[in-house]
Amino acid sequence: MMPTISRYRPLKEIYVAKNKADLLQGTLDMLILRALSLGELHGYGVIQRIRQLSDEMLNVEQGSLYPALYRIEQKGWVSARWDVHDTGREAKFYKLTRTGRKQLETEEASWDRLVLAIAKVRQAT
Amino acid sequence: MKWFNIIRDRLRALRQRETVINEIDREMRSHVELQVEANIRAGMSPREAREHAMRTFGNVNRAVDAAYDVKGGGFFETLLQDIRYGARMLAKHRAFTIIAVITLALGIGANTAIFSVVNELLLRPLPFRDADRIVMLWEVNPEGRHQNSASRANYRAWRAQTSSYQYLAAFSYQRYNLTGNGEPEELSVQFATPDLFKVLGVDPLLGRTFLPEDDGDGKPPVAVLSYALWQRRFGGQPSIVGQPITLNGVKYTVIGVMPSNFQFHMKQRSGTGRPPDLWSILPMPLDSNERGRFLATVARLKDNVTVEHADAELRTIAARLADEFPQFNKNFSAEVLPLREQFFGNVRRPLWLMLGAVGFVLLIACANVANLLLSLATTREKEIAVRAALGARRGRIVRQLLTESILLALFGSVLGLFFAWLGIKALVAISPRDLVSLQTVGLNVTVLLWTLGVSLLTGIIFGLAPAFHISRLNLNDSLKEGGKSEAGQATGSRRLRNALVVSEIALAVVLLASAGLLIRSFIRLQQVDRGFQTDNILTMVVRLPESYKEDPQVIGFFSQALEKVRQLPTVRSAGIINFLPLYGGMGSSTGFKILGQPEPPTGEGPGCDVRVVDADYFPTMGIPLLRGRNFSRAELREPKHVILINEALARTYFSGTEPIGQRLDVLMFDTPQPAEIIGVVGNVRYDSLIDESPPAVYFPHPDLTYSFMTLVIRTDGDPTAIAPAVQREIRTLDPNQPVSDVRTMNQVMSEWVSRSRFNTLLLGLFAGLATLLSAVGIFGVMNYSVALRTREIGLRLAVGAQPRQVLLLVLRQGLLLTIVGVVLGLAAAFALTRLLASLLFGIGAVDTTTFTTISILLVIVSLLACYLPARRAMRIDPLRALRYE
Repeated sequence: MMPTISRYRPLKEIYVAKNKADLLQGTLDMLILRALSLGELHGYGVIQRIRQLSDEMLNVEQGSLYPALYRIEQKGWVSARWDVHDTGREAKFYKLTRTGRKQLETEEASWDRLVLAIAKVRQAT
Repeated sequence: MKWFNIIRDRLRALRQRETVINEIDREMRSHVELQVEANIRAGMSPREAREHAMRTFGNVNRAVDAAYDVKGGGFFETLLQDIRYGARMLAKHRAFTIIAVITLALGIGANTAIFSVVNELLLRPLPFRDADRIVMLWEVNPEGRHQNSASRANYRAWRAQTSSYQYLAAFSYQRYNLTGNGEPEELSVQFATPDLFKVLGVDPLLGRTFLPEDDGDGKPPVAVLSYALWQRRFGGQPSIVGQPITLNGVKYTVIGVMPSNFQFHMKQRSGTGRPPDLWSILPMPLDSNERGRFLATVARLKDNVTVEHADAELRTIAARLADEFPQFNKNFSAEVLPLREQFFGNVRRPLWLMLGAVGFVLLIACANVANLLLSLATTREKEIAVRAALGARRGRIVRQLLTESILLALFGSVLGLFFAWLGIKALVAISPRDLVSLQTVGLNVTVLLWTLGVSLLTGIIFGLAPAFHISRLNLNDSLKEGGKSEAGQATGSRRLRNALVVSEIALAVVLLASAGLLIRSFIRLQQVDRGFQTDNILTMVVRLPESYKEDPQVIGFFSQALEKVRQLPTVRSAGIINFLPLYGGMGSSTGFKILGQPEPPTGEGPGCDVRVVDADYFPTMGIPLLRGRNFSRAELREPKHVILINEALARTYFSGTEPIGQRLDVLMFDTPQPAEIIGVVGNVRYDSLIDESPPAVYFPHPDLTYSFMTLVIRTDGDPTAIAPAVQREIRTLDPNQPVSDVRTMNQVMSEWVSRSRFNTLLLGLFAGLATLLSAVGIFGVMNYSVALRTREIGLRLAVGAQPRQVLLLVLRQGLLLTIVGVVLGLAAAFALTRLLASLLFGIGAVDTTTFTTISILLVIVSLLACYLPARRAMRIDPLRALRYE
């Protein structure tokens, strides 16, 4: 599954595929949480942050980002508020909550386990 | 937290759709603006920057929609859409809707009605504080009869030796005459020891209840009024507290009034089933009656004591008492019974059975509606295929179909509530008198919640199978064929439909078998040789107050009254007895000795029922004199020490010898008082129609004078017509003397069998409903099957099949389903009717006659149901059938 996340197969694919695998949905959630773990951001900022952190490899589409953000907000992992951006524009800012931080830890831990497992399988062949 | 947020968002989306969408829109817009700014910073021209931003964003509307879905607008909107769509669908298929709603309403209504009774009697807490801590204490007599009254001596011993109870109280019922201000009236009085109200944990509405100081010799008598008596007799005046009232000629001071919802009543203890009108202190003198068993005992358990512990303790004490006083307590044991068990123990099983029965009816209704939905679905195949082709996922289609079926169930439950309301009224009207507090049964919140739950559940049950079935349809086939055809009908659908009909029939068989068993028992009960006649007999109770001090006064009153009554027009004969057959309460019984025979060891001698009568009682009731003679006039004037015995006593103790002239010492007196047997009369079932008559002796009134007697009057024609005249005659003898319990003997009988009749009637009704519904079910399936096979049948007819053969073809198909259903149903009935055993009389729970009869009945009913579709098949026009489609 890992290879599908690439510059040329945008993450939107993953969003569409969510009905087939919750795993991928979880991946997007994890990326968003990770982006927010470094500080409060608006939606646009989340996309930019993920791009930056992935060395421009991951480009999350808006159409996938907002449903994911709202869902995460309903789960209580982030809180949201409207504020004025430093350029003078208003934007909705998202902030990681305490439960969100815990969720990020568990998701990353299980992700690490998965990566490790897949690596082992690949080495074996 | 998560669920709370989701629900909050969804509700907000429902209420403020615009606001929610605007906010999402605003956020998206701000996103684009940020992108634009970034682009400009990266060196694009403003126009270029905007175009690029819009391009990267993609379809804004779609993004808003996707986000809105999460925000929950989608959920309720889809729901509303589905409901609107479902309502349109139901309106379009009006015939289907009406049949389905009525079917469901019958099932749900019956369920609601029975549940409301179950809720009232078995689930709702009793109206006492911590009612689960209240228990009854009883003796168990040597014959194993439970709930036997306790003697004063034993009650005292229990009280002294137990440590399980916070409070303990004894009570017994009496009938006292209330005189002064208005008509004399006979009241039902509960005499209790002072702690009764502490045991029950109920405070008075006015004044106070008993205090320890109220008890004891020479204390002024006190009375606590029931709310009903206070309202009826004293106009609800609060000033009644502290006032004197006259009971049996003695002044009692009213000390309190109980609240309207308070009642503590044990029908089987009270004689005629009337709840207490007032409470007074039960005197507990140490006198000759110390060992007579007439007390009921109620107690409140200490907090840390279980019922089992209390029961074990009481049994130990009873065993000790039996050792200590064998002449009184040999072979007697004791038991502790929770109060709810006391009140409703005997109705619990029938009630759960009834709830089970209506559950079956509801299942049948569900199967029927599921079948209807399946048939309807075939005509909707194309519609659903189109939806699927346009991208509706399977879950979405199932959801929409389920919304429709739940909508149907909700409509059904609205009509069902109306049926339930009617049903409850009918239930209360026909319920036996001893089903206490049924008057308060009604549609309350618990019942409404139950109905709502039941209807949602039924909606899902009958909707699920069709919904899944349809959503599995093959898209291509349905679109191509564009409607119904036998080829497009997957065998799966036919199999499902057949399975539904088979289970309907099986369920109906179980109900019919149960109802059949009850009906047969009921008929047997009616046919029992009870030993007396019931037609044209009027009965009424006269209870003389204590002012009639001497026996001759009492005897004189009754013989004068009888003389006057006998002279009334249409009266053929009139007599008296102390305890009328089947009057609904207890009689008296005791031991006896046969003079000249060796005396058996204490506690093991023979026993008999004891009745007190005059000579005319026997001809009036149609009880035959088998040997010897009836009481003479002289024997009815003063004690001559003579008795009559019944056939059972003669046969048991004088088989082969002549009973007439023998002398019995019946142990009813302080000193031995042997009496001579002068005649033998026929057996009468006094206590119950079910049990054989035990041995009994009849004393003439002067030998054993009771101050309350029941008049029995045989008339020409309607006996009730004479009642006012009889009451008038009694009042000319004593203007302060009321009569009570004016009933015909037929009414007495009918009240005695009322519970059995009630159960039979209800179960019969449910079984009838079940049969009707399954007939409708089998009709629907066969009708539909014929419609599907129109072409095939047309072809058969075209190539020379006789219409009769077609008829048989259809009937055979229906018959096969019925027989499978009946066989399965009989198997279930064999397993389940055992639960009815305690309600049956004279037949076993597996009764071949009943089972055969109902099987034949069901086969006939289903053949009738198949006949209409079969006739339709027979009349198919081959030409039109082949051109069909």
